[in-house]
Amino acid sequence: MSAALDGRAARLLPRGPRLSAHDAAVFALRAKRDAAARAEPDFERLREQAQQIKAHALDHLDLLLERFEASAQRAGARVHFAADAAELRRVVLELLSQAGARRVVKSKSMLTEECGLNPELERHGIEVVDTDLGERIVQLAHEPPSHIIMPAIHRSRADIGALFERELASPPGDTDPARLTEAARRDLRGRFLAADAAITGANFAVAETGTLVLVTNEGNADLGTSLPRLHVACLGIEKVVPGLADLAVLLRLLARSATGQPISAYTSLLTGPGPGGELHVVLVDNGRTRLLADPRHRSALACIRCGACLNTCPVYRRAGGHAYGWALPGPIGEVLAPALAAGPEAARLPFASTLCGSCSAVCPVKIDLHDQLVAWRAAAPRGWRERWAARLGALALGSGVGYRLAGGLGRALWPLLGRRFAANPLAGWLASRELPPHPGSSFRARFAARARRAEP
Amino acid sequence: MDVDLFVPCYVDRLAPQVGLATAALLERLGCRVRFDPRQTCCGQPFVTTGAHAEARRLARRHAAVFSGAEAVVCPSASCVATVRHRYADLLDEEVARALAARTFELGEFIVKVLNRSDVGARFPHRVALLESCHGLRELALGWPSERSGRPTHAGVSETLLRSVAGLELCEPARRDECCGFGGAFSVAYPELSARIGRAKLAALAQSGAEFVTGTDASCLLHLDGLRRREGAGPRVLHLAEILASQEPA
Amino acid sequence: MSARDEILAHVRGAVAHRVAAPAPFEPARRRADFATFAAQLAAAGGAPIGPLAAADAGARVAELCRVWAPEGRVLASDAALLCLGSAGPWRPIPADAAPHALADVSVAILCGALGVAENGAVGLDGREARPRALAVLCERLVLLLETRRLVPELHAAFAQLPEGALAQPHFTFVAGPSKTADIEGELVLGAHGARELVVVGIDD
Repeated sequence: MSAALDGRAARLLPRGPRLSAHDAAVFALRAKRDAAARAEPDFERLREQAQQIKAHALDHLDLLLERFEASAQRAGARVHFAADAAELRRVVLELLSQAGARRVVKSKSMLTEECGLNPELERHGIEVVDTDLGERIVQLAHEPPSHIIMPAIHRSRADIGALFERELASPPGDTDPARLTEAARRDLRGRFLAADAAITGANFAVAETGTLVLVTNEGNADLGTSLPRLHVACLGIEKVVPGLADLAVLLRLLARSATGQPISAYTSLLTGPGPGGELHVVLVDNGRTRLLADPRHRSALACIRCGACLNTCPVYRRAGGHAYGWALPGPIGEVLAPALAAGPEAARLPFASTLCGSCSAVCPVKIDLHDQLVAWRAAAPRGWRERWAARLGALALGSGVGYRLAGGLGRALWPLLGRRFAANPLAGWLASRELPPHPGSSFRARFAARARRAEP
Repeated sequence: MDVDLFVPCYVDRLAPQVGLATAALLERLGCRVRFDPRQTCCGQPFVTTGAHAEARRLARRHAAVFSGAEAVVCPSASCVATVRHRYADLLDEEVARALAARTFELGEFIVKVLNRSDVGARFPHRVALLESCHGLRELALGWPSERSGRPTHAGVSETLLRSVAGLELCEPARRDECCGFGGAFSVAYPELSARIGRAKLAALAQSGAEFVTGTDASCLLHLDGLRRREGAGPRVLHLAEILASQEPA
Repeated sequence: MSARDEILAHVRGAVAHRVAAPAPFEPARRRADFATFAAQLAAAGGAPIGPLAAADAGARVAELCRVWAPEGRVLASDAALLCLGSAGPWRPIPADAAPHALADVSVAILCGALGVAENGAVGLDGREARPRALAVLCERLVLLLETRRLVPELHAAFAQLPEGALAQPHFTFVAGPSKTADIEGELVLGAHGARELVVVGIDD
């Protein structure tokens, strides 16, 4: 019985040009990261430093949160806390309604995806326009983003051309990325200028100064937060870092790991509201304190959402982000899902991996992603089928007698196991592979025979 | 020196020639090779499917079987990685550490313990190496492509292959991308496993290789299974078989 | 119990205050010269010019404006005006300019607070780049950067931010024109912010 993710991958990213294009486009980001890492002599030492910075920050998170709150308030921001997704949605709605805001521009925030913010705002008659081009594309297509950094990487230019023709009245048949971007630029300009409020995420929050850090290439977060009066920034509690020296290390790793750039086009440090404006910062838990308390999985909170693990993952590249079934795909998505995502599938996501370890090798903050996947598997609830399969397997392999019996049985049943029928436990293998021919005798039998022949 | 063979359960049952080649090769290099028939399975499939209790049982058995061994050599990087990387979670710390210190992947043993890179092999064919994920990233048998900086060590398998007479080593694109086997993954996620495998097979074929080799027979069986279903692609041979080979010109 | 108290209580219960902070990071030494900075900026799609003597910068920037937008609206900050002089198409930024009223600006000219050689970024202080929207609304952005304000990398940049840089609402590192690669990974310059970024190095 194959897993739901496998079936979704087959359906959503069918074999053929779409699959190869997705794989190539995503791997290209990995290649760019490699080039940037090679070009920067500090790179491996920065990773080591970043891991230590985050470990220290997480172990002092209470102090950092209090410090950030005090610094941000001193600068004139209002700081709110939200225990879960529902509370985040409530807090944001209230802030918008207090300000009478009906038109909102939004820049990329995986946290707000995680908490289902957009649908909730729309349900209350608020117009939310995603301003990151990739986010805008998936918003117009009524689907979630499929990648942390490149939300529409699963879409071809033909798809986007058709979409923009329908939604933005761009010239029919035009699929040139520059012209499509121009169409989006024009459309979004109007929305920036007409917006009542901006909602953003934040890449980092600096405790020492109460500063929010927004990183983009497009400048959409800057446009969004410099035009309307009201700015609401939503971030997970784990995003708080102690000071500027720590920020320097993490920023030097972020863009290099995400897209291979030494820095993104815009890195904005926002401390307090702009002139005549209002700044509200919402710090969200939504399961993060549970991870914080789990020594085996705490380091997953070090994630700076660069997407490098997605780009290198052979499973992600050939499944596509939508196959994962929740806000965060790829290795980091699988490591966070059992703690942060809802539903029975969340605990099964860590099984969707070959454990190749490439993710751990590219992570800028050195999270031991693939080891954490193994740890989650041991903690996952197991159905009676899994439990009995394991017991039988251990019986067969755990004793000399069991091992010999199982071996004999395997040889006898091999022709049957090679046939495709529904109840065959090896059905998954046989869907696209031949079984190896059974060699007849085992190594141990042959080795023993060889030893006997050698005896005088 | 005395060497205890650790032959993975699936090699014992499905690819015995790999075990025999391993024994022959080590003997040729001057080792006295023993095989303790009490060994069964290191427990890797139980570790990776989260069957912790069963994994612990098998780990205990494995540790007991090899408790007296001076050097444990295994023609499978993933099994060695289980012992060196995962047993710490399953066994008493001291027992795990002692066992890990004495357990080697075959190529690693030849290069780092026996200090040999030329084993007197001859295999005049074009061969591509399937880099083992476990070997590369958990056992540091080579320099993974993710790492920046100058490599501080040469890949063990590559070193051995380059010394094989007549062998032409082909370099595939994305040389250390996973083959998609992943143990139970290959059966539980069949579509994804096959997609990743087919792409890997294509890259290996495109490198011009007649043969694919590596340290993990399981990965090779997965690729070979794809090859036989697809009807095209390089044939597989385990590293031990190539190194034991003294094929005439 | 408020959400705040609840969350902080959970955090306090989870942490031990035992993990030490690492020693300060010591970056590899590198040059903080305009050539290094310029190469990085160019790689990011920006256009470095110079370094020029302050006296020559005015003519150069005036030429740029003529080519880009002969009839367009060109605004310069007070500091930029001081540097460039009055012989050019630029006007001062209106004192109480509402950001929305600047949507039609063709060229904005501002002074950078510092430049980062490792990545081609220019630090724009909010007290200089006012109103904030101007630098992202304009079609083209010109930043004047004194070469003596170049630092080697981001560690130095954060250690040498102008006094009060983070005691006011914004400080932005701009490292190239606005860009995106969201459509099939193909790079497009000028997504939402400036289509072009020129940085003029000024030697004293």
